[in-house]
Amino acid sequence: MNPLLDGTRIEALTGVFKLVVPEIALVGVACVLFVLGLFTSSRFLHTSLAVLGLAGAFAVALVAQPWETTLYDGLKANTEAYYPILPSAAATLIRYLTLAAGLVLMLLSTKEATREIAADYLACLLIAVAGTSLVARANDLVTLYLALEMISVPTYVLLYLPHRGKPGQEAAVKYFVLSILSSAVTLFGFSYLFGLTGSTNLSAINAVLTAANKEAISPLAVLAMVLVVAGLGFRITAVPFHYYAPDVYQGGPTAVVAQLSVLPKVAGFLALARLLGIVSGPLNDLPFPTSTQVPLLLWVLAAATMTLGNVMALMQDNLKRILAYSGVAHAGYMLLGLVTASAYATPTEGLLPRYVSGFDGLIFYLVGYALMTLGTFAILAYLNSADQPTESVDDLAGLHQTNPFAAAMLFVALLSLIGIPLTAGFTGKLFLFLGLYDSPTVTGMGNAYKTLTVIAAINAAIGAVYYLRLLGVIYLRSPLRPAVRHRGKGPMLAAVLCTVGTLVVGIYPSIVWDLVKKATPATAHSPALVAK
Amino acid sequence: MNLNTVLGLLLLVVLLAPLAAAALIAIGGRGRPGLTRRLAVYASALHLVLTIGMIALYSGFVTPDAQSEQNLSLNFQPKAVPGDPGATNGAETFTYSTSWKLVSLTPGETGPAVHFYVGLDGLNVLLVALTSLMFFFAVLVSWDTVRERAAAYYGWLFVLQTAVTGAFVSFDVLLFYVFFELTLIPAFFLIGQWGTGSARRDAARKFVLYTLFGSLFTLVGIIGVVLTNPIPLHPTSNQPFYYEPTHQAMAHARDQDGPYVPGRAGPITFSIPVLMKNVSMWDSMSHYSVLQAEGRLAKATPNLRADRERELADVREKQRERSTTQFWLFLALMAGFAVKIPIVPFHTWLPATYSEAPLAVTMIFSAVLAKLGTFGILRIVIPLVPEACVQYGLPWFGTLGAIGIVYAAFCAFAQRDLRLLAAYSSVSHLGFLVIGLFAMTPEGLSGALLHMVNHGLTAGAVFALLSFLARRYRTLDANQYGGLWAKYPVFTFLMIVIVLANVGLPGLNNFVSEMLMLGGLFDPRNVKIAGWGLALVAAFGVMLSSWYLFTMLKRVFFGPLIEPPTVGEADARPKDVTGREFVPLAALAALCLTLGLFPQPLLDVVSTDVRRVSELVNRARYRLDPSIAAAEAENKPPVQPIRIALPAPKR
Repeated sequence: MNPLLDGTRIEALTGVFKLVVPEIALVGVACVLFVLGLFTSSRFLHTSLAVLGLAGAFAVALVAQPWETTLYDGLKANTEAYYPILPSAAATLIRYLTLAAGLVLMLLSTKEATREIAADYLACLLIAVAGTSLVARANDLVTLYLALEMISVPTYVLLYLPHRGKPGQEAAVKYFVLSILSSAVTLFGFSYLFGLTGSTNLSAINAVLTAANKEAISPLAVLAMVLVVAGLGFRITAVPFHYYAPDVYQGGPTAVVAQLSVLPKVAGFLALARLLGIVSGPLNDLPFPTSTQVPLLLWVLAAATMTLGNVMALMQDNLKRILAYSGVAHAGYMLLGLVTASAYATPTEGLLPRYVSGFDGLIFYLVGYALMTLGTFAILAYLNSADQPTESVDDLAGLHQTNPFAAAMLFVALLSLIGIPLTAGFTGKLFLFLGLYDSPTVTGMGNAYKTLTVIAAINAAIGAVYYLRLLGVIYLRSPLRPAVRHRGKGPMLAAVLCTVGTLVVGIYPSIVWDLVKKATPATAHSPALVAK
Repeated sequence: MNLNTVLGLLLLVVLLAPLAAAALIAIGGRGRPGLTRRLAVYASALHLVLTIGMIALYSGFVTPDAQSEQNLSLNFQPKAVPGDPGATNGAETFTYSTSWKLVSLTPGETGPAVHFYVGLDGLNVLLVALTSLMFFFAVLVSWDTVRERAAAYYGWLFVLQTAVTGAFVSFDVLLFYVFFELTLIPAFFLIGQWGTGSARRDAARKFVLYTLFGSLFTLVGIIGVVLTNPIPLHPTSNQPFYYEPTHQAMAHARDQDGPYVPGRAGPITFSIPVLMKNVSMWDSMSHYSVLQAEGRLAKATPNLRADRERELADVREKQRERSTTQFWLFLALMAGFAVKIPIVPFHTWLPATYSEAPLAVTMIFSAVLAKLGTFGILRIVIPLVPEACVQYGLPWFGTLGAIGIVYAAFCAFAQRDLRLLAAYSSVSHLGFLVIGLFAMTPEGLSGALLHMVNHGLTAGAVFALLSFLARRYRTLDANQYGGLWAKYPVFTFLMIVIVLANVGLPGLNNFVSEMLMLGGLFDPRNVKIAGWGLALVAAFGVMLSSWYLFTMLKRVFFGPLIEPPTVGEADARPKDVTGREFVPLAALAALCLTLGLFPQPLLDVVSTDVRRVSELVNRARYRLDPSIAAAEAENKPPVQPIRIALPAPKR
């Protein structure tokens, strides 16, 4: 029988649209906005349409969630149905996260997206949000690539849109060229995966590679992984694929840079996690070697990324360059989650149970990272104005006197970036460190994971140096410029949301952690738990 | 409502009231400095009264159930734990634990979780009292020195108080870390914004960065201890398995037959009392397996020999791995505390901080914040890595402490600035404290604990006295002073009392604790690791401290009157101690005398918990060196040897 006529497969192909209704809605609204922008430049109309789009997507996502969960649970049992879209629990969580991030980014952009460009700006933003959400649920190499490009292409436009100056153009071109290069590398890696397995479906690829990996280590699979990591490394700004970040951040408009620092990272990490087979489990059988090769690759990447990011940030004077390198450093911390997850060994006797599987720590950190980074950028967008640009560290001098409220919010965001307790940054680091330290030592990596925990702790201390420098400038110096009335209700509201979020997640992490734990595959052999 | 519940509520109030006061003052006192400082004094005085009340209740409550030597449990048993699940059923059923969960690692199950686990026991109760007292005095000392943005100043001061108190009363290892780290934020602002020197911004950053750098290692250490010491489970059931072989049983381990089945790893825990039990249990099991494997090898028939050799090599390797891990964890845990205390050579942040911060804050730093480090050693390091402490504590950190005593004493002698003299004198005394702690005998530990309080009182008093001068003159350069006795007899009298307390004159408080710590060093079990040598250096340090302090007294208070320029107008006549200044200074001097004459009540409060720690360390000593156990066993009644057949799990 022709396998294409098999009922479940036809259902799998035709049924996918039901699984991406919120994303389709977002793209639809974006198209309307593009067209509408040609005829009218009513900002109110554009903004309310975009907000409606996000709210609609959110509502549809809520309605669809129970049904999707049932479908996903059924699919987990029946591995024959290879859906190109997989509504995994993690994908559902990421969908809500990106929709929320989209709202914050929209608020953030109100100052920079002027009336003439508002329609195009909002449309591009919606498409990028849809793309990020789609990456999390893509279950096919083609869908995945399409979703990744749905983030990149609008970003090219966004980078170019508000800025007509030379540095802005340079940033846009730089991002464009390097992004294309990274996409090409990613595709090259995908081609190996397809060649090895004969399928573009990720579930199929994972199944085949997992079976093959039990027999022997396949060098071609490892090579494919290296290429994919190199390609996606661009999006998560992993060293050495981070070169564009400082220049693009410096040249780009603040709101776009804020988007660039969050959405591609979420997408990149989710795509990597999906390819590594840790999104839906079982975690004890991974498609790639878990003893040294892939964990070692990620180990080196994580160590280099956080160390270089932190050290380079020490030498910067431009705020956005500092944030660019800080973003690189935080990508390094998040890579720790992937290292942990990819190091999953088949449980053997004497192996201690693991409470943080790595992927859960990664998602939790992504939430915290989004909150604190968007909060920082929102304040910068709020403070920045044509007559008083806030570009260099000195521009923040004495902010607590000229604008105590903004200073207080920046204070919370920076403390969180340092990783001081009671902020999201601390809790996130704690979970990542817990998972990493707990990685099995019975494999070829030996004590390398524990060493990496120490490297990460040292890095957190180095990171504190430049964040604390900013805090010192804000609170301990007197203002260099006269106080002005800052304008921008949107960025202010975004900053308030992010600050509250950072504190809530830091003080009562269960709010997010419980959701994340539910959405990620459980660790296999938890011992029977006993009361004290 | 039984007494434990009441105490628990009172503890919560004592812990959180400063936060409420901070909020009240920051909001209500903005722009009204007079109201602000009055509010601050009332709030801290009220807090002191509450704390004293709580401690009075606690000490009345704790005496009847002091445990006898035989069945002393070797983990902390905090009283007054809010959220104790047994508390509702009456006084007999406390579990010494809490059900207030902060975050569960595996939601939906009764898995490991971080709890809001605070309580009182012998180790922290005195320090809580010291904190409340010193913050009250700090508020009094800042009365007219802090004029700018007074509301924010007192607000941060009270936030700092909650953070410090929280670290002292935490029994959850992560909660401790959270409070420990939270001290950094208020400290950063207090130094950086209200500092008196020109380099205050750098000092603030330096302090935070140094401390953070150390404490991030401590975080890794804490994670490591938690993960390597899960609750041991019975080999065949899912019940907790605490059946620790005694040292007498260890001595018979070689005679036992049948393979020894150690417990399995269960869920992890963040509770310090449970972790302590787990650490001892895993240590004992690993030592016991080695001893027994040795015995089995000795009795093996030739054809079984190869097997038994492999078995022995296996358990030895596991034991070696465990002790290597413990060594690194010990270093990681110590990193944060060594910086916080500070132990020479990690003290380089201290001169800048102490000389730039406002004097009231410096007083808090030396009196209370430095104790966080030594308290961390007592509460976290010694109980959670006891074997590494026995092996490396005194030889490594004791030696550093001894170097610190002498080095800081010479530095103190060389200082012209009185603040720096006091700062280095504080480092010198803290070196002594570290040695006393790592002697890890009942005398050394109770001496060290007492010295934490005594040093808090005397070092705090020194800075309070300096604030008297700072309020009147523009400099604290010792060379510009002379013959102050003639002008300020009351001040000089108080200064002499505090100096005498500092040098350890019998009858004053430091004498008692320093003698106890010295006594701890002469414990025969420490002889091997040069306890006597350290004792010699420590005693020499006492002599050195009298050298630099009396030299200072001679320069500043004797001889013809020399005065630097005054703060006010040139012809203003500075007065001797005013009423407001007299209260903290006289109270501190009186306390120094009282504690010097009647230290016993304090020692009674700490004795039970000190014995827990020292007995725990003794077990570690016996494991590491069986000859110590053999020597002591002669003086002790034999205890039933351990049964090797596994006891049935208790259901």
